[in-house]
This record gives sequence, C-alpha cells and structure tokens, in this order.
Amino acid sequence: MALTPSTPRGDGATRLLWMAGFAALAFLVLLSRLYQLQVLRGEEYRVKAEENFVKELRVPADRGLVLDRNRRVLVDSRPSYDVVLIPYFCGKGCDEVVTRLATLLSFSFDEEERVREHLRTARGLVRFRPFTVKVDISRDELDVVEANRIELSGAVDVLPTPHRSYRHGIWASHLLGYMNEVGAEELVRLNAEIEKAGDDVQPYQARDFVGRRGLEKRYEKDLRGVDGIQRVVVDARGNAKRESDLIPESQRFEPSTPGNNLVLSIDWRLQEFAEKTFPATAGAVLALDARTGFLLALVDRPAVDPNKMAGRISRAELAAIRADPLQPELFRAIQQHYHPGSTFKVVTAIAALEEGVLRPGGTVYCPGRYTLGGHTWRCDKDSGHGQVDLEHALGASCDVFFYALSDRMGTDKIARWGSLLGLGKPTGLDLQGEIPGVMPDEAWHDAHQPGGHQHGMSLNISIGQGDVNVTPLQQLVLYGALATGKIWRPQAVLRIEDPKGDVLKEFAPDVRGTLPVKPETRDAVMKGLLAAVNQPFGTAYGMRMKDVVMAGKTGTAQVVKLGLKRLKASQVSYFQRDHAWFAAFAPAEDPEIVVVVLNEHSGFGSSNAAPTATAVVRKWLELKEEDARAREGVQRPAVSPPSAPPPPAPPPSPARAQKPARAGAAFTDGGRRGA
Amino acid sequence: MALDLSGLASLGAPRQRSIARFPWHVALLALSICAVGVWNLASASRSSHVDIWITQATWMGVGLVLALALVLVDYRLFRQGAWIFYGVVVVLLLVVLWKGRVIMGARRWISLGPVGFQPSELAKIAVILVLARWFSTDRESDPRRGPRGLAGIAIPAALVLVPALLVQRQPDLGTALITVAVGATMILFAGVRWKTLVVLGTAVILAAAAAWPHLKPYQRKRVETFLNPEGDVLGAGYHASQSMIAVGSGQGFGKGWGQGTQTLLSFLPEQHTDFIFSVWAEEHGFAGALVLLTLYFALVGSGVTIAMNARDRFGQFVAVGATSLVFWHAFVNMGMVTGVLPVVGVTLPLMSYGGTSVLVVFAALAMLASVGTKRFAN
Repeated sequence: MALTPSTPRGDGATRLLWMAGFAALAFLVLLSRLYQLQVLRGEEYRVKAEENFVKELRVPADRGLVLDRNRRVLVDSRPSYDVVLIPYFCGKGCDEVVTRLATLLSFSFDEEERVREHLRTARGLVRFRPFTVKVDISRDELDVVEANRIELSGAVDVLPTPHRSYRHGIWASHLLGYMNEVGAEELVRLNAEIEKAGDDVQPYQARDFVGRRGLEKRYEKDLRGVDGIQRVVVDARGNAKRESDLIPESQRFEPSTPGNNLVLSIDWRLQEFAEKTFPATAGAVLALDARTGFLLALVDRPAVDPNKMAGRISRAELAAIRADPLQPELFRAIQQHYHPGSTFKVVTAIAALEEGVLRPGGTVYCPGRYTLGGHTWRCDKDSGHGQVDLEHALGASCDVFFYALSDRMGTDKIARWGSLLGLGKPTGLDLQGEIPGVMPDEAWHDAHQPGGHQHGMSLNISIGQGDVNVTPLQQLVLYGALATGKIWRPQAVLRIEDPKGDVLKEFAPDVRGTLPVKPETRDAVMKGLLAAVNQPFGTAYGMRMKDVVMAGKTGTAQVVKLGLKRLKASQVSYFQRDHAWFAAFAPAEDPEIVVVVLNEHSGFGSSNAAPTATAVVRKWLELKEEDARAREGVQRPAVSPPSAPPPPAPPPSPARAQKPARAGAAFTDGGRRGA
Repeated sequence: MALDLSGLASLGAPRQRSIARFPWHVALLALSICAVGVWNLASASRSSHVDIWITQATWMGVGLVLALALVLVDYRLFRQGAWIFYGVVVVLLLVVLWKGRVIMGARRWISLGPVGFQPSELAKIAVILVLARWFSTDRESDPRRGPRGLAGIAIPAALVLVPALLVQRQPDLGTALITVAVGATMILFAGVRWKTLVVLGTAVILAAAAAWPHLKPYQRKRVETFLNPEGDVLGAGYHASQSMIAVGSGQGFGKGWGQGTQTLLSFLPEQHTDFIFSVWAEEHGFAGALVLLTLYFALVGSGVTIAMNARDRFGQFVAVGATSLVFWHAFVNMGMVTGVLPVVGVTLPLMSYGGTSVLVVFAALAMLASVGTKRFAN
C-alpha cells in the first residue's frame, strides 16, 4: 500500500471544476433567495416581525353616565379587573394554567368547565384572542394573580375594565336596563350592521359589553364611547418586555374617548321615596310631569339586579329568575296587560257624555245589581248606591251606573272613545318592547271570542273588565290627558350630554294629541274624580290632603271571575287576588303631577294603591317647595290653597246646581232599568 | 495494517518551505468567520442573558490548538490511521446508541469524564479519511481505470452508509444527511459512470418512497412543511416561518447589532445553534448576509484550489471531503433558514454555537490546510 503520487490534472480536475460550479450555483440560489426575502419582500416581513411582538391591549372607554334630572349619578362605571387567558400563549400548558387559576380564584365547577370548554373548542385565530376567565375580581384576588404571574405564564392577563355600576341596584332597573357580554353570533351581526350603516362607529370585539335592556340598550350608541389602544412589546411566549422603545412613542398609547351621558327626567328623590313607600311585591308606581309628559319616577317590581345581570350571575341564579312565577324580568309598566278596573270608568263616562247617552247631571238608580238577559251583574256595593249621578258614580265607583250607560251605548262606542283617548296602542315611550294593550270593539270580540260579540260584554268593558287591557303607562298617559287635556308621549330622557357637559341633544315635550272632548264633558268627569278623593262618599276620601286638592280614581281589577261570595284578599291565593289601582293628579286645578299606582294581587285600590300615590304626590309637592326655597333662599307656601279659583279647570259648582233636573229626566230610563 | 511512521520523518526538514506554502488565506477566511460568529452569538444570547459567546470563543481557542497540531503532523499519517479511526468511530456510534445521554429526545451524546461529545460529528471526519484512503490505493488510483460502475462504488458506499445509518438511528437526520452528502461528493469525485448514476438516482427515489413510512413523525412533518410552508404556520411551520420573518425583516442593511426583534424576543427557536444565520441576516440585512456568503464561498473555492493542487491522491480526496463538509453544512443550513430547504438540524460552520461542531470544522480545515501546505509547487 505505497503512497501513489496522483495526477490531479485530467479527469479529477474536470470533476473539481464541475463541483466548484455546483457550489457556485448553490450559493447563487441562496443569494437570490436572500435578495427575494430581504430586498423584494423585506417590507412585508418587517411588518410581520412587528406584528409578532406588538401586542395591542384595549383601553376600554368609560361608558357614559346616567344621571337623574338633578344630575345625581344613577349609573356609572367603576374600575375593576378582569382575568383573561390567551390560549395561544400557553399552548399545551393551558390545562395546568387553568387548574392553577381555578385554585387561585376559587372557580366554581361551572366557571372552570366554561374555560376548559373554550380551550377545547378554540381553533385558529380564536386562540389569539383574550378569553374572559373571570370578571371583576376582588383586590385580594388581584394580588394573588399578580403574585403568581410567572407560574401563570404570559397567557394570563389582568385587564383593567370599567365595570358598570348601577348604584341603586334593582331600583328603576327596568328603565335603566343592563348590559352583558356580546355573544359570538351577535358580534358578527352587530358589526355587519355597523358596516352596513357606514357609521363611523368602532366595531365590537369579543369581551365587549352591550346594552341589553332599557336605556342601556336604547342609547347604546351614545353611551358607548370609543376604546383606546395600548401597544406593548411581548416575546414569543407573550410576556410583556421592557424594550418599549421598539414601538415609536407616538404609537404606544391611543387614549379612549368616554361615552356621552344621559340626563333622565326621573327625580331620584321621588323615585327613592316611592321605592321605599310602595309596599307591593309586584306592581308599578309611575309619576309623570303633567306639564311636559316626562316621567318623574318609575317603580316597577319585581326586578333583577342589573349589577348581577352584567355577567356576574351564576347559571343557577339565572334559572331561578327565569322560573320565578312573578317574572322579575318583565317590565310591567309597558309589557304587561292588566284590566284597568274602575279606573276605566272615566272612559265610559266620556263616551256616554260625548255620544249623548248621558246628559250632564243625569242619574241612575243603583240597587246593588244590574240584570240583562237573565244575567245579573253585581255592583261593588251589594246594598246599592241608590240614585247616583256621574259625580257620585265616579266618586263612589258605582258599577251599575256604568252598566246602564254601556247597555245603552254598546261596545263600539266605548271602544271608539277608548281608542281616541290613546288606549289599544303603545304610548310611544322610546324603549323596546312596549305592548299596545287591548281596546276591544265588537269586531275584535267576533274575531277573538268563541261565540263572537255579545251585548253583555259591553257591561264588563264599561267597568274595565272583560277584554279591555291596559298597561300602567297607558293609564298614566290617560289620566295625564284628563288632567291637562294633552295626550303626552311619555319620555324618560331629558337630554344627551357629552362628557364635558355640553348638551348634544335636548328632548322636547311631545304632545301626540289633545283630549278630543267638549269642555263640559271634561268638567263633568273632573268633578267625579275630585269627588272620589274629596267627598265623604268617595272611595279615596281617606286620601284627601289639607293643603292641596287631588283628583283621582281607584280601581280594583278582578283577576278571576267572582264567586258567589265576596272573599277577603287574605282568603284567596296570591295569584287570584285582585289588582289594586289608583290613578291621580294634583293639584286638581292646575295639575303638575300625575301618578298611577298598580299593586298586583293586593286587593282594593283604595287601601292598597291610593296611599302610595298620595304619598308620592305629597312628596313631590314637598320637593318642589324645597327646590324653590333652595333656589330663591326664601320661604314660600308650597302650593296654592284649595280655595283659590283655578282658571283652566274650574270645579263646575254653578253648573252643578242647575243640572240635576234635566239629568234626572234624561235618566229615568236608565234608572228604571237599573232598578 | 502496520503504522507507517515515515510521514513523521519528513516533518522537520522542509519547515521553511511549509510555512511559505501554508494556505494563509484559508486561515484568514476561517478566522474571519469565527470573529463574525462570536460577535453574532453575543447578540443572539442577549435574551437569555448567558454569555455563550465566551464559551464559543474558548472552544475556538481549543480548536485553533487542535488545528495547529493537525497542520504540523504530515497528513499522510492520517492515511495510515484512517481505518483505525473509522473503526473507533463506528464503535463509539454503537456505544452511544447503547448507553448515550438522551437530550431532547435523541441519544447523541456520550460522556468523556466531565466533557460530553457527539461521536456523530466524528463520523464525518472518519468517512472523509476512510474514503480518501480507499480511493488512494494503487488499484483504485490506476489512471487506466475508467469511471466506476455499481460494483466499483459498492464498498465505498457501504463505508459511508454504515456510520450514516447509525447516526440516523440516534436519531440525527441532519448529521446523517451531511455524512452521506460528503461521502457521495467524494465518490462522485472518484468518478462514477453516467449509467450507474441514473440507476442509483432511480433507486434512491424508490428508497425514499419506501423509507417514508419509517421516518419519525417530526421528520415527516418537516418535509411536509417544507413542501407547503404556509400550511401550518403555528405548528411545524413555526420554525420556517419565524426564521423567514427574521431574515426578511432584516431588509437591505439590517436592524443593527442587538436590535433584532425576532432574536431578542425569542421568536426563533434554536436561535444560537441551527438558526444562527437568521440572527445575522436580521441584524445585518442583505449586505451582511452577502458578506458571510462570500466568506463561505471563498473558503469553498480555496478548498477546491487546494484539491486541485494536492500533491497526492489521498491529500486530494481529503481536501475534497473537507471542502464538501464545509460546503454542505453552509448550504443546507442557510437553505433551511431561508426556506429553500426543509428544516433539518445542521449547523452553520463556525457560526453556530457548539463545541463539538467547532472542533470538527477546525479539524477538517486543518486537514485541508495541511494538504495545501504540501501542495505541488507551481
């Protein structure tokens, strides 16, 4: 095996040249690839590299405040912290991270399952999005999470999120509404709508909260504001890094713009008083500014706590709410049908007067019952009221008087006047879900009742039973119309202001129509309403006030057909008890406030609804006096004395003296029938 | 196979001429790359806050001593020790499979006292030496002998495949592939018939198809990813896409030393070993990459020149082997980082962090220089 001198020239040299050529070609390939990546597509990759390390954190905008008419804060946002998880950053370690989180934040089984479910199902880009693991953690929990930051990995983040705070819990919560997290499909839909509308509105993102009910939903756009952005540098595992100089200073932070504020017409002092005074489990107390048609108070029970509904409610609690027979999620003031009961008699009276069925001063004899075609209708007073005129009939709430009127008029005339007064259609309050109520005429009965319309049905309708249905808000508007002659479109928002307090939009009082009746008709009805509160025979005589004249009408709406024997409320199961109504306004001579109280399943209007209404009226007048004192710094009498002659609606005492004779003649017929 | 010590005898006498003939440009190129490599590692290790560039520089010092020793020895001594060395390496490869340390799922390391090293790196040197020895025998170097047929390359091919397959078993696909590539280059250099090449090419394709089901899932995934890099950006394509982002975002002149965001924020896995080139390209741009590419090409070119002027057939084959080792490492590594080739674990000579790799490259370059020193005088 001797060493052999080789001959590198020849074949070897040729092959070497080939190989050198191959190497040159290979390096040329690399070179052109580098040229392509770095020079031709360099910019594209530079952007990609930046996207790699720039993590955009949202700076949520402060949602607009909701204020009462005196600028008292009802709803605001308080600082709080949410824990989010970005599945991509923990990858296979996510399970462990969740286990650790579950221990640190003491998750319920439900909560932990929800997170694990998300980890199982999240695919693609969803894995990069922060997923809310727990909202609104306590300060202690925040400390715990921060202390365990390293073990929890960069996938877990604590985000400061302003949380909606409804300062008074369930009070007025149906009106205020609530918010919760936007759903996945809803998100797509909302953003499609925004895009379609072409508005300059920020699209929604996962984790965003949207208004669900009430004003929060109606004024979502105004309240929302514009989120800001904070850009931080993160490494491949999502940990924030200090090398913030990688992002130009001007791009590190874009501040958020707060939403606009809503100023409501609600006077929270009155609301608070009404909430505390109203004894009912279920029902509503509505107060309207008679001069503008703006709501002053809106108590609606039962209700759910909007603070809880904003994502902090457990499935079990939610199920309990949904299963509650009292339906706490129902906005009774605009979403529930009630028989108006005797409060409806004003409509029957107006129809009779306008149609000429009842002459002013006409009377009817009430023996305590009314018989028609072999059926007997009972009066609320079994012994009968005797000979009654309209004032007495409304004041003492005699049923027979109105049976007699409707017997002569029929259903259609009552229905016609009911419709003219605004019943059977929504009041137009600017909130979603208002129902129209039912003001049935003969055709309606033919369509909806087996056997069609019967004449006897008009008797039921005349006293607010049968198929006539109203919402408490319709009652408020109706009595507002009686008080002022104007059919208001009720409103709850006075104005929208920007965060600095500049008015963006002012809502003007909105009259939908005037009370379409002759002045004498209104005077006659007014007399009856005054009598109910101020005459000894009145059903609400106990409610009269010394210094101010209130006019009103009680109502006791039957929920089930009366048995042979009248039973006390305590003897009947809750859902079979009557609803108590009271509708009133004051001062009668120049009405400032209209109040409607509905106390569900409580019994008589006079004893279960009228006291609250009266207290609310009194409180309102006190508040007015208080405000006047505060404004002027001098003491002034609260209200004008009842003896003062009120110009717009004079109690028609002179007319009363001359009418009985004529009325008596006109009503002999009706009186005979009643006898 | 008696050890012929005659090589040692010639060591002293022609020293004067040896120094004059020493291929200084090879040393200069190698040291330039070393300097760039250490500087680059200092940046790459910023995020981990471990000064691995010092370790690397130390290894390079050790490598220099080794290289000096190898240069001083007449390379014809290696010819005599080639078989023994080859045999020892094969045994070591068996040992490492039997009881090596498992790191990251592979059994590649054995401990020699406090130092761990990878016998698979030695396999490349062993293949170079044993093939050079094989092709420099009288029978194989007969000028009348034409290009080889299948029978002519069967034994050298087996000499390459035995260690390569053992390395692949560890598993270390990158090193196995480099070993095969270096061996194939040397066999091709020895001369193979065109017909044989065609037959072999067909066989290799068929073998690849047959071997596909036997590859490890991660290896298969890498090839799939290479064929369709956009298919799985977050999974197996992560390495490829992140390194392409790093390289591309360097643009013309780079982000500057220590300013590479991909590097700094650890978006590049293995950024100081297999993906070191992306750090360089990100921070120094196309210009920097061009400089480095030029250095490697110059080194390969010098290797080819040395092979061209080698005094004997053994030296010539050693030069071809050593040069192809550098070439394949550089080409496969940079091709992988830039997305031209699939991701396989192959280091970039003198740039990637790692002691064994540095020593092996220094050893190969020392042998090259040694051949160059004893070249024919022109």
